[in-house]
Amino acid sequence: METPKDLPKFAVLQLSGCSGCEVSLLNSDEWISNFQLVYMPLVVSTHKIPEDIEVLLVSGGVRTDEDLHNLRKGASRSKKLIAVGTCALSGGVAQIREGHISRESYLDSSHRLRLPSMLPRAYPIDKFVHVDLYLPGCPPTPELFITALKEAENAKIASIVCQECGRKKLTDMRPTSISGPRSGTPDPEICLINQGYLCVGTSTRGGCGALCTRPGHACVGCRGPANPYLNKDPEFVLDNLRRVFTRMTDIPIEEINAALASPWLSLFLGQFTDYTQDQSLPQRTKEKMI
Amino acid sequence: MEMRGFSYYVQGIPAEQITVIVPRICGVCSTAHQVASVKALEDVFGVTPPPLATEIREVLLLGQLIQNQATSLFIFTMPDRVNASSLFEMGDDQESKARQFSLAQMSLKIRKIGTDLISLAGGQFIHPIKTVIGGVTSSIPREKADAMIKTIEELLPVAVDLVDNYWQMSLEMVDRIGTWGDDEPTYYLASTEADNFRLNSNQLRVMCNEGRQCHTFAPQEYENYINIEASDYSYAGISDFQGHIMRANSLARINLTNSFGTPKADAYLKRFDEAYGKPAHAILFFDLCRGIELVYALEKAKQMLETDLQNGEAMVRYQPRDGIGFGLVEAPRGPLIHRYEVENGLIKNADFIIPTVHNMLAIRRALMVAAKRYVSPEGISNELARAVGRVVRAFDPCIACATK
Ligand code: SF4
Ligand code: SF4
Ligand code: SF4
Repeated sequence: METPKDLPKFAVLQLSGCSGCEVSLLNSDEWISNFQLVYMPLVVSTHKIPEDIEVLLVSGGVRTDEDLHNLRKGASRSKKLIAVGTCALSGGVAQIREGHISRESYLDSSHRLRLPSMLPRAYPIDKFVHVDLYLPGCPPTPELFITALKEAENAKIASIVCQECGRKKLTDMRPTSISGPRSGTPDPEICLINQGYLCVGTSTRGGCGALCTRPGHACVGCRGPANPYLNKDPEFVLDNLRRVFTRMTDIPIEEINAALASPWLSLFLGQFTDYTQDQSLPQRTKEKMI
Repeated sequence: MEMRGFSYYVQGIPAEQITVIVPRICGVCSTAHQVASVKALEDVFGVTPPPLATEIREVLLLGQLIQNQATSLFIFTMPDRVNASSLFEMGDDQESKARQFSLAQMSLKIRKIGTDLISLAGGQFIHPIKTVIGGVTSSIPREKADAMIKTIEELLPVAVDLVDNYWQMSLEMVDRIGTWGDDEPTYYLASTEADNFRLNSNQLRVMCNEGRQCHTFAPQEYENYINIEASDYSYAGISDFQGHIMRANSLARINLTNSFGTPKADAYLKRFDEAYGKPAHAILFFDLCRGIELVYALEKAKQMLETDLQNGEAMVRYQPRDGIGFGLVEAPRGPLIHRYEVENGLIKNADFIIPTVHNMLAIRRALMVAAKRYVSPEGISNELARAVGRVVRAFDPCIACATK
């Protein structure tokens, strides 16, 4: 048996997130035989980020000065850096309601003794360090983790969620309002848009296996924009969704617009498109996306 | 819960969307948050989910308990017992390497049953989506249930072995360090029932110092019983029960359980009660209790999957309305309550009473006990750092608030 000590060193740095990305990684055991996990505060009790790391996964957004410090240190000690999860790619779910008045009262209460101080907002990690590979998802599935770790070069990722969903889009089933979730058990075969759900699978990057839509929950877009929408203006993405909904439904445009501005979409869709508004951030090319 | 500021962020958002957002409070207990969130809105809207949905939610929460207890036992605390820094750290000689490697793989396999159950009953494996207002979006097909039953049957003996092994290692560790840790009596808080261990729970129970169950109350009444204050040292709050220190999590549940109703878990429960008394107080018992619960959850999940979870109504129609609602579930770390106030269809206020707050005073006291033991006028013993680690891991505090 190959001894784990000879395997490439692999580390996981967790910034401000929910730990879901780490939990997801632990859901796969395939990496155990390919890598030596040397740093992951959740499961390895060492407090120092080691030197000579082959691959560093970073999850979570940059929200405190401590996050920033650890990120810079981690990046300087590793050959390859993979940004993992929506939080690392966009700042994170912590950004929802950004600019809202409540944020101020929150900041007040967080400026307490002995707690790491808050940056003015949560940032994606590529604002500060070079990222070799992006793995979006909230969290990315264990399979996607393995793809990113082992075969990023020849990864075959479904272009949009609909490709993996398997639900049938019908032309003669046109809902007049977004009332699907209130209407009892959804039909298992038919596209959720036909059933009055706000599903954004049509513009969301695939690869998750349509985890949510197959059991009957609308895709909320956690994998972020599909390739054609990378680095695009938010309006471009919203326009596309608007077209899908006007083509497939008789829902009034006001209702569609209000729904597209909803917080559950801003969790993901809004964040990824927000990203394009900050000129200081690098362009993300499709070659770097898993 | 304040650290990640969710109470603030969710103010003003459409109420029906909160169930997608709040699981992101914590990826370790996202399942509990999601179910509590849905239950709170059902309480606001006056919706009763169909029985099939209630059952499937229980399977989902059992999956989370398995995942959590396996992680805590084998990934977080087993290294303490073998004096290693992690489960993935390998010893130098070939034999210990092989043993460690197989322990790691077995542990992750057991843990994966939990994950697979979460996927089966919850759709997603981390931030589950099948539980929705009105029920669950889809049921569990027979063939999938059968495949899962087969896996559990295969791996239950492995889990029992791991738990026995763990129990033995714990006894050896306690011989070595000479203590099970802080064993002063406290109050205990759980929302599972004494003879009906349901995680999809409806009321809270309290055991007082003398070991008697002394209070039962609905989540709506929690403020009459539990006092929660902010703290300067952590983003989590600190709670007490009418001035008394209390504990939640595995030991609290075991102290408040008469029987599990599954054979192997009941045998462990008997062994535990006979060896350590009821209530048992020492903090390292939390870890043993997690082992008992792990076995229970595997047995119970199998029992439930053997019933029909495929046919019947999964989800009812509903109409939203304004009001105040509470959602309670027993999360791995104790009772979790979400309280929402909905006005004009929007969240006006949201409170998240996370289970770890109930253990904060107890953690503090256990750390003092450890400090007294290892800090003396002659100096600080090398064992102190380890003892602190053991205390923290025994309580298995919510990671999102404990690590920041
Ligand atoms: S991307 Fe999602 S799962 Fe990962 S840390 Fe952020 S909120 Fe959690
Ligand atoms: S349900 Fe969503 S993901 Fe599936 S086909 Fe319809 S739009 Fe696409
Ligand atoms: S279906 Fe959509 S929301 Fe669900 S995992 Fe896939 S991309 Fe994320």
